[in-house]
Amino acid sequence: MSDIFNIGLLQNTLRTTTPVVLAALGIMMTDHVGIMNIGMDGMMLCGAFFAVLGSCFLGSWGMGLLTALAVGLVLGLFFGVLVIKFKSDEFIIGVALNIFAGGLTVFLLRTIFGVAGAFSGSQELPIYGLPRLNWPWLDSIPLIGPLLGGNTLLVYASWALVALCYLFIYKTPMGFWMRAAGEHPESLRAAGISPEKMKYLASLLCGLFSGLAGAHLSLGYLTMFTENMSASRGFIAVACCIFGRSNPPKIFLAALLFGFIDALGLRLQSVGISSNLTSMAPYVVTVVMMVWVVRRAEHKKQKLALLRG
Amino acid sequence: MKELKHIFSFPFRKKLNGEYLISLGVSVAAALLVGALIMALCGHHPLEGYGAMFRGALSSPRALGDTLAKSATLCLTGLAMAVAAQAGIFNVGGEGQLYLGAMASAIVGGYLTDWPAWLVVPLALLAAMAAGGLYALLPAWLKVRLKVNEVITTIMLNSAAIYFCKYLINGPLKTTERGISAGTVKIGADFAFAKVVRLSNLTTSIFLSAAIALGIWYLMKRTSAGYEMKMTGQNQRFASYMGMKSGKLMLMGMLISGAVCGLVGMFEVFGIHKRFVEAVSNEFYYDGMLVAMIMRYDPVGIILMSLFFGVLKIGATGMEQIGIPSEIVLIVQSIIIFFMAAESGITAAVKARAVRTRARRAAQRAGKEAGA
Repeated sequence: MSDIFNIGLLQNTLRTTTPVVLAALGIMMTDHVGIMNIGMDGMMLCGAFFAVLGSCFLGSWGMGLLTALAVGLVLGLFFGVLVIKFKSDEFIIGVALNIFAGGLTVFLLRTIFGVAGAFSGSQELPIYGLPRLNWPWLDSIPLIGPLLGGNTLLVYASWALVALCYLFIYKTPMGFWMRAAGEHPESLRAAGISPEKMKYLASLLCGLFSGLAGAHLSLGYLTMFTENMSASRGFIAVACCIFGRSNPPKIFLAALLFGFIDALGLRLQSVGISSNLTSMAPYVVTVVMMVWVVRRAEHKKQKLALLRG
Repeated sequence: MKELKHIFSFPFRKKLNGEYLISLGVSVAAALLVGALIMALCGHHPLEGYGAMFRGALSSPRALGDTLAKSATLCLTGLAMAVAAQAGIFNVGGEGQLYLGAMASAIVGGYLTDWPAWLVVPLALLAAMAAGGLYALLPAWLKVRLKVNEVITTIMLNSAAIYFCKYLINGPLKTTERGISAGTVKIGADFAFAKVVRLSNLTTSIFLSAAIALGIWYLMKRTSAGYEMKMTGQNQRFASYMGMKSGKLMLMGMLISGAVCGLVGMFEVFGIHKRFVEAVSNEFYYDGMLVAMIMRYDPVGIILMSLFFGVLKIGATGMEQIGIPSEIVLIVQSIIIFFMAAESGITAAVKARAVRTRARRAAQRAGKEAGA
């Protein structure tokens, strides 16, 4: 048992949680204004690729991160223009975005770096990864020290962002307007605020988060880009957003659960269970959780109906 | 819980008509232009690139055979998407259903080698349909009974099925044959579909594909079940008031959709690979889905469009030979979708602008006349 349940399990949990949390926060933004962004997976993939590109050619992790954010903004704007201005179906745009991202990143990977499959830096073009932050005072605490210390910048940023997003969505006028744009756009318009602007704001923020999530994938623990490296995490993030009812702390908890299952899978491989079987776990759990969440919501509705009698 | 109603709002409700076909033509041309621009930016000659594409897809009997075989796959997966979408349910999980269908047929074909071919092939067809159909039925049932959003569940079930098949071919069902890193045992020698064109991927399964395509067209356009499915898809509440069993129709649409996906997998196994290997599909279903979405789930449109996409797909290997990464085709395809999805919005914007300019001109003219 100690092979499976140890500090490594918790460390892996935190690592696998971070990209999902970041992506889910982005999806949450659009969800609040009433847009379901199923294209997050592709946006993350683009973020991951351009983070590597920026890191290689501009020579620092900071530039890599900035490039990913810029590309995220562009994609967010693109998504916004198509969905908000041209009123396209967000589901179709999302699916097309995913396919577009898969094609574009591999095309550019092969054209720019001349490799197929994966690029993990070369002599002339090393990839600069995100720095790991060490807190000397933390290291002295047993258990918590090795768990919380020594993570990359974006891990800590993701925790801070969960809190910030909560404050933004629920405690600021802007967040209130954004929620109103999703729930009662006409009332918002009557109050003199354009729901369209709020929707654009949400999809731009969503793009920024996709950039962060992507940068974490390719510059975080591994400094490399591989084909299709987002591996449906964008979809798991959608599921987290649904479980968390678009409430940042709850989303974080849902993402932690997935991270834990993912990490548990990795650990189970060490006791001889096929990695292919353990890889199934997060997807199967998502389906089960979807059912559970919907059932619970139904029960609540029924109870309310009974109370109102 | 916040409703996901926006996902259920159905896209491309409008019918195919002349105006739509014009914008389709413009979109395809624009997407090819963007593709040319990308090629030029990356230092390839665009005309050479597209020339290589058409040569690669059409210049030899083998290439033609490959293109036709690819089109058949696209057509079937596209129709699978369309038949479920017509009933108002999004089957994004065709890839998983395809894998499971392929696996089921490979097991039948690989372990019943002593049986006669006339028995095994139909059995394999049935097994593939059952595996794909039942796997599609699960998310459909969850949607109909428990109102669980099918988009997320089908995507998740895709990954689950693919990993499950990977597990089988690396574990319990791994062949001991040398030179095969991961795969099931080979199917009986006389079970495979015969090649129609030598060296190409075109096998006699094309006739079955044609029959299935015809059958689905008939179902969607000429039967009352197809009509009821369409009503359900367009307005579930109205369909229920009219006495249609919308839940049952959705389940049926999804069952057919999954069964067709399973069959596509079976055709790959019995036509090309002769066993289950991981490469049995390379996101075939997503390509078909794109075709279906572009053609607004119209069966005839899907059949025609899949021919064009077949040329793109097989032509990509021709481009590969002159050094252009074949992924350019994915980019072109998705750009067509972007244009088509935004089509009504863009047309409306263009029309509104035209109306405005006309009004302004008229006002100016009126002003001038008044001044004169």
